Amino acid sequence: MKLNFIRRMPKILGAVFLFASCSSDLDFDQIDDLKLEPVYVANLAYFDVPANKFADNGNAEEIAADEQPFKVFKQKFFKDNLVKAECDFELENTINRAFSLDVLLFDNNNQVLETITLDIPAYSGGSNIIKYQTEVFENQRLAVLKQTVKIGFTVRIASGAPLNSSSSGNLKLRSSATAYMLIEVE
Amino acid sequence: MRKIHLIILIAFQLSSFAQNKEILYNFTSIPQSSLVNPGADVSYKYYFGIPLLSGVSVNLGSSSFSAYDLFANNGIDFNDKVRDIVNKSSDKDKTHVNQQLELFSGGFRVGGERSKSYISFGLYQEFDFLMYVPKDLAILGLDGNRDYIGKAFDISDFNLRAEVLSVLHVGFHKKVSDKLVLGGRAKIYSSGANISSTRNSGFIYTGQTAGTPNIYSQTIASNLEIRSSGIATFTKDEYRGSETEDILHNTFFNGSLGLGFDAGLTYYFKDNLQFTASIVDLGFVRQSKDIETLTYKGTYTYEGVNPNFENPDAPRNVLAEFDKAIPRDTLYNKYTTWRPVKFYSSLQYSFGESRYGEECNCRAPSKRGYANSIGGQLFIMSMPKQPFVAVTAFYKRSIFENLDFKATYTFDAYSSKNIGLGLSGNIGKFNIYALVDNVLEYKDVSKANSVAFQFGLNFIVPDSD
Repeated sequence: MKLNFIRRMPKILGAVFLFASCSSDLDFDQIDDLKLEPVYVANLAYFDVPANKFADNGNAEEIAADEQPFKVFKQKFFKDNLVKAECDFELENTINRAFSLDVLLFDNNNQVLETITLDIPAYSGGSNIIKYQTEVFENQRLAVLKQTVKIGFTVRIASGAPLNSSSSGNLKLRSSATAYMLIEVE
Repeated sequence: MRKIHLIILIAFQLSSFAQNKEILYNFTSIPQSSLVNPGADVSYKYYFGIPLLSGVSVNLGSSSFSAYDLFANNGIDFNDKVRDIVNKSSDKDKTHVNQQLELFSGGFRVGGERSKSYISFGLYQEFDFLMYVPKDLAILGLDGNRDYIGKAFDISDFNLRAEVLSVLHVGFHKKVSDKLVLGGRAKIYSSGANISSTRNSGFIYTGQTAGTPNIYSQTIASNLEIRSSGIATFTKDEYRGSETEDILHNTFFNGSLGLGFDAGLTYYFKDNLQFTASIVDLGFVRQSKDIETLTYKGTYTYEGVNPNFENPDAPRNVLAEFDKAIPRDTLYNKYTTWRPVKFYSSLQYSFGESRYGEECNCRAPSKRGYANSIGGQLFIMSMPKQPFVAVTAFYKRSIFENLDFKATYTFDAYSSKNIGLGLSGNIGKFNIYALVDNVLEYKDVSKANSVAFQFGLNFIVPDSD
């Protein structure tokens, strides 16, 4: 009996391993279906200019301008994977003159791709903050956006009592971008 | 990307878990038990392992998900599965793979007939992989930061180590008295490939705070370091060889060298009350071949594009500022990695006289003529975040003169109902053993959080021959 058992041992061991081979159906190719769709928010542009920096003669005119590099779309990650973008702008004006801000997107050849114009009335006490309608970039508009390498800011003032070094109030821009990504494996 | 697939697939397919060899520990009819306690009460005139077959072990474990959770062919979208796993995991959950293959091993008694001193030696190859679930970074990749305003994504969640190495070892143990066995083992490690990134810190934060210039306050503080040895060559575009062959070659012939020690003891309070303890892999590898360390260290607060109306000719490139604040640096310094240290201990009570003891005195004296043993074991292993601890209860029985059986019940981070079974039998002078962990999970191994098995074949000439 003892001997029999020993003879049977390899079979028993074999059975243990056979037993071990039970497994549900697994499909490792599913990893190719991996698709990440994160949504990122980030600051876009801002400024805070006090009234006494805008010296003018009371006429409607362009009183400030600047251009800044914006190289996000030089990054392959964003160029390849961004499927939708939204931009939110907010202006606050506590100066008793009306303003208009142009946000300009430039391409590599210094051509204007798009102009977003934001108007805000003169301050007359109380709250004077405007949250503008979300700019949505999809499809063709998104393709154009991806050529952007530079952002320009042009501030125009409406006519009114001239500002000087003792004028009060500020013009503030705050803005953010929401990036919808689609990242696929391979 | 392909390589990442491969690594993940290998990790899941080879996976054997946690390196706790609770069935092998103190299973002294198997000579390999002296690899987990060099002071185990093992005796032989001489033995050798059948090359490549004497010790094959695989341990796989994953504390928060199984292969089934991720790869089940059940029609559920893969992305939903990934999301579920990330949601139910914590940053303390981990995936661990350990595989060992003995190339050769042997041992002999030294100092003549009456001597109680033994030498054992061998060479084995080991692969070890440990990764914590990078929960916060996974959320950032899956969902982004929009719905997590105010949360600091923890960069320390990125924590992994992996190594392929060969270990050449020589051990010595001696029965100092009837009550005490002492043993030690010296090891030379040769590491073919190592990657280690276990001491990261920092965060990625997006919040909304009153008084800040723009809509969000956004800060990245990064103290990230990824050290590698034996791998940098493969990442270069010019590389035309075969990674597997080169890693194997380096592991045995051109590795980073290291030194280690094991020590252990067996002590009999009484004939039938035994205590053992061992410490294994107290050692280090000096990583010195093909070193490359990548670091991303620095802090950057991003407010957005800020036009300068007073000085329109001073453009600021925000991306360049970021790269300058958190630069990617490559260093080529040698570094030292510590081997995961394992500590084992057991207390064993034996009872019931063995029927075979009287008629034939050929059983190892360590059996001391008892047929049954019960007891408890403790296992502790060092890990980057917190030590891995397992507690085991066991029952051992000599079923026949040449057949020993051990059953274990283990409680650890991977499972609270891990039942293990082991058999070791002798057919003539051949010893064959098979140890299987987590047997309850074998009805569907893909759903197991951890699986371990080990088997081997030895040729043993007993002490009394």
